[in-house]
Amino acid sequence: MPERIEHYRATRFEESVAAPRKARPRRRPFALVAGAVAYLVTFLIILPILWIALLSFQPSGNILGNPFSLSQLTLDNYVKVIGSLPLLRMYGNTMLIAIVSVTIGTAVSFMSAFALTRMTFRRRKVQSSLRFYLLAGLAVPVYILLFPVYRLDLAFGVFGTYAALILPYIAVSIPFNTLLLTGFLREFPTELEEAAIIDGAGLARLCWTVVLPLMRPVIATILIFNVVYVFNEFPFASILINNPDMVTVSLAVSRFQGQYTVDYGGMMAAATLVLLPQLVIYAVFQKQVIAGMTVGAVKG
Amino acid sequence: MSFPFTIRVAAAVIAASATMGGLAACSSSNSSPSDGPTTISLSMQNPDVKTADPATWAIVQAFEKENPNIKVEVTGEAVAEHLQKLSIAAQSDTLPDVFWVYKSNAEEMLQGGKVMNLGPVLGDLGLTNKFPKSTVSNFTSGDAVYGVPYQGLLTGLWYNKKILQDNGLQVPTTFDELLAVAKKLKEKGITTISDGANQSSFSVWSFLTDLDRFGYADKVQGILKGTQSYDNPDFVHLYEHIAELRDAGAFASNVSTQTYQQAVDQFTSGKAAMLDAGVWASSAIQKSSVAGSVGFWAGPQFKDGVGSQNIIMNVASAPLVVSAKVSKDNAKLAAVKKFLAFYYGDAAQQLLVDNGQPPVTTYKPKVDATAQSALKSALDAATQSGVTSPESQPDLLVSTTVANAMYDSIYGVIQNQLSPKQAVALVQQAIQSK
Amino acid sequence: MVWISSRWKILAMVAPALILFTLFVVYPVAYSLGFSFTKFRGFGNPDFIGFDNYGALGQDPFFWRALQNTLIILVVGVVVLVPGSFALALLLRRKVAGAGLLRALVFGPAIIAPILVGLIWVFILDPKIGLLNRFLGFAGLPSVQWIGGDTLTPYAVALVFIWSSIGFAMTIFYAGRQLLPHDVMEASELDGATGFQQLRYVTIPMMRETFAIVTILMITNVFKIFELVYMLTGGGPVHRSETLVSYMYFTTFTNQKYGLGMALAVIITVLGAVVSIAYLALSRERKAS
Repeated sequence: MPERIEHYRATRFEESVAAPRKARPRRRPFALVAGAVAYLVTFLIILPILWIALLSFQPSGNILGNPFSLSQLTLDNYVKVIGSLPLLRMYGNTMLIAIVSVTIGTAVSFMSAFALTRMTFRRRKVQSSLRFYLLAGLAVPVYILLFPVYRLDLAFGVFGTYAALILPYIAVSIPFNTLLLTGFLREFPTELEEAAIIDGAGLARLCWTVVLPLMRPVIATILIFNVVYVFNEFPFASILINNPDMVTVSLAVSRFQGQYTVDYGGMMAAATLVLLPQLVIYAVFQKQVIAGMTVGAVKG
Repeated sequence: MSFPFTIRVAAAVIAASATMGGLAACSSSNSSPSDGPTTISLSMQNPDVKTADPATWAIVQAFEKENPNIKVEVTGEAVAEHLQKLSIAAQSDTLPDVFWVYKSNAEEMLQGGKVMNLGPVLGDLGLTNKFPKSTVSNFTSGDAVYGVPYQGLLTGLWYNKKILQDNGLQVPTTFDELLAVAKKLKEKGITTISDGANQSSFSVWSFLTDLDRFGYADKVQGILKGTQSYDNPDFVHLYEHIAELRDAGAFASNVSTQTYQQAVDQFTSGKAAMLDAGVWASSAIQKSSVAGSVGFWAGPQFKDGVGSQNIIMNVASAPLVVSAKVSKDNAKLAAVKKFLAFYYGDAAQQLLVDNGQPPVTTYKPKVDATAQSALKSALDAATQSGVTSPESQPDLLVSTTVANAMYDSIYGVIQNQLSPKQAVALVQQAIQSK
Repeated sequence: MVWISSRWKILAMVAPALILFTLFVVYPVAYSLGFSFTKFRGFGNPDFIGFDNYGALGQDPFFWRALQNTLIILVVGVVVLVPGSFALALLLRRKVAGAGLLRALVFGPAIIAPILVGLIWVFILDPKIGLLNRFLGFAGLPSVQWIGGDTLTPYAVALVFIWSSIGFAMTIFYAGRQLLPHDVMEASELDGATGFQQLRYVTIPMMRETFAIVTILMITNVFKIFELVYMLTGGGPVHRSETLVSYMYFTTFTNQKYGLGMALAVIITVLGAVVSIAYLALSRERKAS
């Protein structure tokens, strides 16, 4: 059976992104313009990010008064952030929470999405209603959840542990994951799975060795978004973390904002330090988005 | 932390053990091995208490040094998250032992039996008489004292003498003089009063004092009871004056998008002649390049004002309160008592002053005339002969909703979004809506 | 695939997600729905007052202003973002040197916490100190009150929202495009379809679900915009630039009217769901016709 799937993949999907079609001479000027536009748009989009990076090297006084000055750039803000925040611990806590919640969240969402798009319910109405039930969570603003989740955490005795954040993070990711997974599964033809079933694959094997690999671009996308969510999530983290040893990076930036004082330099440096690992994570998963379809082609 | 600061802390600790011999004896008897260490939690309104609220930090450090078997666990979040956390904790019975909270919330928690009546404790410790009378009455509801003053709220307008002099202007006394200053500075493109409404709509302290120059203290009970209205001719006059200031170009053109922090920055970088703030800004001012030429002004006196015009806002800010649960835990209660005794002892009050805050007891502090020139000018303004203070700041006497409407009404006029009439109507509506 | 669909297998597949979601999302919403019928200030005890909170919102001009602002952001945001990010996804699939790097960079804004996005853009949009007006000044043009004035703030917020979401939406389009079967695309090319024809008659119709995904995400995300407004203007002047969630935050936490805030939160949830479903219904109709 594996050969058959590999063969299927190799013939049905494009070999690589970098060369979607053979170069046609008459298209060259257009490609050139497209390339230029791509660079220009990208530059415009990242301009404000470059600016944070620049501001993070400015002395605090300059940020408000003279943000463009290049004469006094300093590492002071970074020294301060590294000195006053337990950054390693924050990264560690965040990675732990992200890995556990995103893994579980993606797994349970994938299972339910598979059932909601591929399995046959006695009543089809139930199937589509369940999908809408999960999708409705997309419309829920987080502030409606804060108080009740705190009380749930207390009731379950998980308050003060990592699970206090992990559980709501999983739950909140389910609507988004469901939207992407059910959407793409519906768009995606079932021929391959039918072939696998004819070959005698069971449910677990069908999910794990047939559907999951094919959904790699989507899974990678989901992982990226969920990890970014955990890194930036503030309302839950600020309410549900009571122990200074358990703080996450999303709280780092707010440490520089007091009742009557704001340390903009510290904020910018903390922001940059929170951003960098996320960009690396994106770069890694992003490769998966592209690589997803090419595995078979290489082997074929 | 600089070297002189450590010396000051050490000196304060020595002074504390000297002046509070009785307490020192207490703590030494407590350090017997049968008595395990006690931890009290202190939850504050700044995420990083050490840097954002050095006065509280210094007091806690000195206290722990003196009481080695009591540990004060200081935590903090920004005001919004702090209040959210307290609100949930109050519902779930998980309040910290001692915490900062708004006066109106403390009263609500007192009604729910969630905070302790500190009256007897203050009596035991002999603290009641150390506070100004208005402070205790301010934090009394019925016959329960639910709070003790956290820090002082001494507010007004900081001014930059140099900017005024350079433009041939004098420090104003009356509103008309202030208006003339604004007109003159507008020609030079200089902001007269630095304010910032973005995320800090509460930053209208000097105008809250002005309400008291139009009879707020006498009217407020009637207004809340419904026998009088916020929409009265006196208040409308005040709002008309704010509109005159606006029309004279007294405020920055980006007053609605700049934050309070930016407003401070405008002043400390010499771009604005006055800053609407309070004594807590003295540290930032002292560190800036304008420190040498800064003075403190209680605010304008109005020809058409009501009652005494020679007033300065020098009251207690939000209270520190103690969770009701503490009273059920003897060890904790003893520790909290010691903490309060220390906080309002002279040594700790001097620590407040050393960190740019006015004392909240009747203690007469030592202030360095050069190293703390800004703070000194504010303290001097507050103790000038003839000047009096209202009992409380106007927004602290009403619910949070009404207080927010008051801030909105003032900034609404400053930003030219509301006419004086609409502004007072907005507040009156908020009062009636509850 | 009937044979793999025994009842217990379906249950085992659906139950974990369903239980977690119900417990930590649906139950809290129901809990807060209860609070929306009370007068509760956060610290005392709640009093039941029926539908009074909903009635009070109906008469609150700030609420209607917040709704109007949110709808402006919704229309401007979705109209620009969906085609814009789709075009960007196609553009970055082309054989452009360094396309992978460009994709990572375009995604950059989506990584930044919204609170910081707001902070950065204050420095760009502020009428006095902002970058944009400084440029206008250099060019000899008059300043524009992008934020903090009477009218432009929601458009400025829409712009910032577009900026922060375009990489996010682009990534989904990109993943969706990756899933298109190669043989179909090849076939259309062999049929002599031009690039535009292929796009119009093959790519877009086949990516209908992807468009639905992106559109629904953008709609529901607009209904959650909070930090951007909070940082740019704090909702001011005098609540003129609030969005629904920023006004809910003000009502609930700053003004401490917890019951009223929860009523507003319930309205936001319902509106977000209704607009999304309306979109789905409309797009299905189009598909049918």
